[in-house]
Amino acid sequence: MSTISTQLRNFKEPTKDQLTHVFFSIPEAPPVPLKDTEKQGSGDIEKMEINAILSFGAQEVEDSYAGKLHLLPPYLAFSSLDRKSVRFTLPLSTVRRVERLNARAGVYALSLSTWHGMKIIVQLTSLRPTADLFCGLLREALKVELQRGQMKAVKGFVKTCYSEGLVSLSGVSDNEREDGSLITETKEGCPAPETEFHGGLGLRFKFPGDPKKLREASKIKLWTTYLKNHGRNLTLLRYPQCTRLVQVGLPNRLRGEMWETLSGSLYLRFSNPGVYDQLLLDIQGTNSTSFEDIEKDLHRSLPEYAGYQSDEGISALRRVLQAYSHRNPEVGYCQAMNILAAAILIYMSEEQTFWLLEVLCDRLLPGYYGPTMHGTLLDQRVFESLVTRCLPMISDHFQAVDVQLSVASLPWFLSLYINSMPMVFAFRIVDCFFCMGPKVLFQVGKAILKINGEKLLQIQDDGGFLNLMREYFASLGDSAHPESADPRARAITRFQELLLISFREFAVISDETILSERRKYRNEIVNSIESFSKRSAVRNLKTLGRFTKEQAGFIYDALYKAMCDVPPPPTVAPPPSLLATNDGNQERAETRIGIPTFQVFLSEILTWARNEKIVINGFQERIDREVAEHELIDRLFYFWDTSCKGSLSFQDLVSGLDGVMLNDLMENIEWFFNLHDKNKDGYLTKDEVLTLSESFLFIFRHEIGDAYLGAVSKFMTNAFEYGDSLLPQHTNSKTGATEPRDIGHNQPYLNLATFRMVVLADEVLESFFETDLSASFRLEPVPDLELPPASSGFLGDLWSNIATQDNRKMFNKLSDELGKTIGKHQVIYRPTIGRFTKLEEPTARESLISPPAKTTSGSSLGTVVVSSSSSTLDTSSIHDNGPSSASVFSPMPHFKAVNAAFMERTPFAIDDAGDDDDDSDLDMVHGEDDDQVMDEVDAFLEAHDSGLTEADKEVAKDLLNAEPVK
Amino acid sequence: MADAASGSVDRSVQVKLVLLGEAAVGKSSVVLRFVSNEFQANKEPTIGAAFLTQKCRLEDRVLRYEIWDTAGQERFHSLAPMYYRNAQAAVVVYDVTKATSLEKAKSWVKELQRQANPNIVIALAGNKVDLVQTSAMSSGSTPSSESEDEADDATATPGESPSVSGGEPESLRQVPREEAQAYATEAGLLFFETSAKSGEGIVEIFTEIAKKIPIEHILASTRGGAGRSGGAGGRAGGAREDVNLEEQQSKKDGCNC
Repeated sequence: MSTISTQLRNFKEPTKDQLTHVFFSIPEAPPVPLKDTEKQGSGDIEKMEINAILSFGAQEVEDSYAGKLHLLPPYLAFSSLDRKSVRFTLPLSTVRRVERLNARAGVYALSLSTWHGMKIIVQLTSLRPTADLFCGLLREALKVELQRGQMKAVKGFVKTCYSEGLVSLSGVSDNEREDGSLITETKEGCPAPETEFHGGLGLRFKFPGDPKKLREASKIKLWTTYLKNHGRNLTLLRYPQCTRLVQVGLPNRLRGEMWETLSGSLYLRFSNPGVYDQLLLDIQGTNSTSFEDIEKDLHRSLPEYAGYQSDEGISALRRVLQAYSHRNPEVGYCQAMNILAAAILIYMSEEQTFWLLEVLCDRLLPGYYGPTMHGTLLDQRVFESLVTRCLPMISDHFQAVDVQLSVASLPWFLSLYINSMPMVFAFRIVDCFFCMGPKVLFQVGKAILKINGEKLLQIQDDGGFLNLMREYFASLGDSAHPESADPRARAITRFQELLLISFREFAVISDETILSERRKYRNEIVNSIESFSKRSAVRNLKTLGRFTKEQAGFIYDALYKAMCDVPPPPTVAPPPSLLATNDGNQERAETRIGIPTFQVFLSEILTWARNEKIVINGFQERIDREVAEHELIDRLFYFWDTSCKGSLSFQDLVSGLDGVMLNDLMENIEWFFNLHDKNKDGYLTKDEVLTLSESFLFIFRHEIGDAYLGAVSKFMTNAFEYGDSLLPQHTNSKTGATEPRDIGHNQPYLNLATFRMVVLADEVLESFFETDLSASFRLEPVPDLELPPASSGFLGDLWSNIATQDNRKMFNKLSDELGKTIGKHQVIYRPTIGRFTKLEEPTARESLISPPAKTTSGSSLGTVVVSSSSSTLDTSSIHDNGPSSASVFSPMPHFKAVNAAFMERTPFAIDDAGDDDDDSDLDMVHGEDDDQVMDEVDAFLEAHDSGLTEADKEVAKDLLNAEPVK
Repeated sequence: MADAASGSVDRSVQVKLVLLGEAAVGKSSVVLRFVSNEFQANKEPTIGAAFLTQKCRLEDRVLRYEIWDTAGQERFHSLAPMYYRNAQAAVVVYDVTKATSLEKAKSWVKELQRQANPNIVIALAGNKVDLVQTSAMSSGSTPSSESEDEADDATATPGESPSVSGGEPESLRQVPREEAQAYATEAGLLFFETSAKSGEGIVEIFTEIAKKIPIEHILASTRGGAGRSGGAGGRAGGAREDVNLEEQQSKKDGCNC
């Protein structure tokens, strides 16, 4: 398993806003989901919530409920204060009229009429200006919906809902229908209502269970009444009776629609017309590993059901699963989804099933089916902890006999009990699940354990546990009290008992409990998954080279961290799925990184692949690390890309590092030579010699003193000198030894032996190759990555809001600016080799001055100067940044200033030969100017680029503070 | 662990065995053949793992295999440790007609050797060998649809399964017996080529595992069972070792709808 996924790291706790959306099942707005703060300012229709009292029904069928009314365009939503008794989510497009009611003074009430004439009365209990504001916003939002033509879409859409037919066929239209248009509409549709509404395979292949035993007819009657009074599909108002009706089991014919209404997938289908059909067109002719996996399981999904013994059922299942995996490639297909989809398709059309799957995998069971299945593991952990808390005896016993709860409970959660219980019962749990949310899975799971408590205390191993559960599930239809004298008690089935205990005794388990438990264990799960995949990645390496496993682990960590910072391009991921072999093969499912990620990776472990600025501003001292970009880094990338794929795998990185990190002097020289010998003919061309020199300069760019520059300079001189002298007879034909120019810049020029000789002629370079090169690669434990803080609820949230990367950057910037204004800001580059901390090495310096005089081959040197000066300019401009700004802004220690001066001079020393300006003082001044500008640009990249005044600071501060408020 | 069973069945030793391998190589079929001596199509896929038991007689001892048949899909990989922990034996299955499945098997072996019980007995089984036996098979496609287990047998029409669609039987073989044998020897595994469809080699796997399992060790390590086991080891009189399939305790798994 060489796929490395950083997905788990990218998890963010949902914001309050998102939680509200989730609660009301409101689909995320397709256009850019901005952060809520931005959204409010960006001129979108505003959201608002307001205290309100919901009264409903002219005949006073229901009590009034106090709660909150949310305007979440294009939806209007209400929930009672306890968040469960009453709620609705109303698409604004279903609202036909809003009236301000004439009422007693001080009462601000609105009457909302839906398209089918249902009236909802909300009394806004906030202060009047707030209520006015809310009404204004509501008006705006309604206007927008009207303009979008959504109002018209409603009627077409509701025809697809079974409930409409149910309500209109039931004959008498109720007195609330003033509109009238609906009645004619549906009556026109009456001749063929069966073809209009969406339904599942059950309509053709029968629904599981005995309709009489399930009392379908009376359930339908009850629901018809409820739906008539309380709205249906898009306009359903959920009062306590709704939940109760769900708990006794949905009637088969209505089940599909109620699932989509209760889960909210209805709104997705409503707001994405035609998307599913388009997807089906898109996937035609495509293939992927998911498709292959799906194909294998098609005939194994509820095979007993008649619908899946026919081509019709199989094809529908295939299309739905394929469409889902195509639209959600990061989830793809996971076994168990086939069972869910197959079960849902009995009650729903393909399109309905598709959207319900979206809601299931995305919102209700987050992370359950993804490649790491972290959601599954997490919820198992949560379940375990809840059992420990509520059923300590069972939990203790399990621990004593070493039985893991998950061996049984994992499939319960993963397949919503459909795979464990007889289907008729499982579907009733699914009913409750869609109505009341994921907590149902936990409640039922605990009730199962509690009911079987005594027997569970007898089990000795996993096998016994599983057998007990199997027997229990098989007996769910039996009477719970077979010995009871009371026939009514005898009639209670074990399943009814199960539901009763689930919802009575474990009602304490709320959505909040689960959310907070998930937060609590998330880190643990993520870490265990990651260390698991790290171990298998290291284990699956074909070769460790000379590294230990621990070192390979460090490489993995660095790679992982880099991937978190710069995720590899998505194009890297898909290719595996295009290949047509089976899943699980490591060759194909391999994570490969591109250059951007590689640069970050290298910067983690290689000192000269990063720029480290030590910033001191009087308030703090910190090290700013940036990723260095240079041709040399890219060169390394392609050098290690031995399979020429334009990307590197973990194995490539390990092998690549193995090639340099553990070498001795001679090997390192050879390695460096090979790195620059592009065509691998054993010779460097003149150009390559120059490139190699630039590489040296790049590596040494932050070294203190002139030693390295001198060495490089000497190297170049010597390289060309020796190179020329060793040129073949070619030279003789011309005027003698001084005419080596014939050789082209891209012709073989310098071989390894010569290169080695030239390098060894200089002790600085020698020591570089002897130890420093290898030592500049450092495999150290990467400090633990920050996970989204998951610990304590409120404080955790607060901290996560404060301690974001952005804020930290902002803080750094601010303190830099403050530091500058008080003259304490200094930036020093940290040397990458750090061999010389003081300015010695006069010999190197001398040799630096002498070359121009010595060299005879003018023109070839000319090229040296031109290209190398351009490169040094780059580096020197970076160089300048630190030292000179230091000399300007701060009373630096004297020696540092001297450093700076030396570093300033070095480029000119080379430039001398290329008859550049010699006036170093003047250049110093320019340099300072540049630096000032650069510093400021750095500091104010976002907003202003002038210097910082106190007033500006104030404004900036205000702006920062202002954003969250408005 | 063993004491529960040893109370009821004399001299029965519980052996926890886990089946691992790439999806669709035939894990479930191998178990099904061993446990109920049958070959079943259209079984629901294994979610997490299926649990089955089978007793078999080895010499004078009864072994009770507790078999965990794990899901093959890659993403269930991270759940596998839950099932192979404490396992005394493992059967790692690959498909002789699919070279990649051996690679996956190797990685499972590596993982087991690293992570699992250090005394674990591992058997490598190259399944679907019936597909590559030249003479025996009448046609290419019919047996193929039958012999693929788990996933592939689900596809009712043989033509739909991409990996094996007729053709010369011998050409289907992608993993030479010698290669796998060499690997198994090197890694210290038992090795078999099997066919869940024809039954070839299936019983042998479990017999050989039974022979190799340090039964005394298991008995010693489980409470109560240790005392009885001491004498049993010495009696090697009846050299007949056969797996007794009459006592089939196949437990139904999956959905009982």
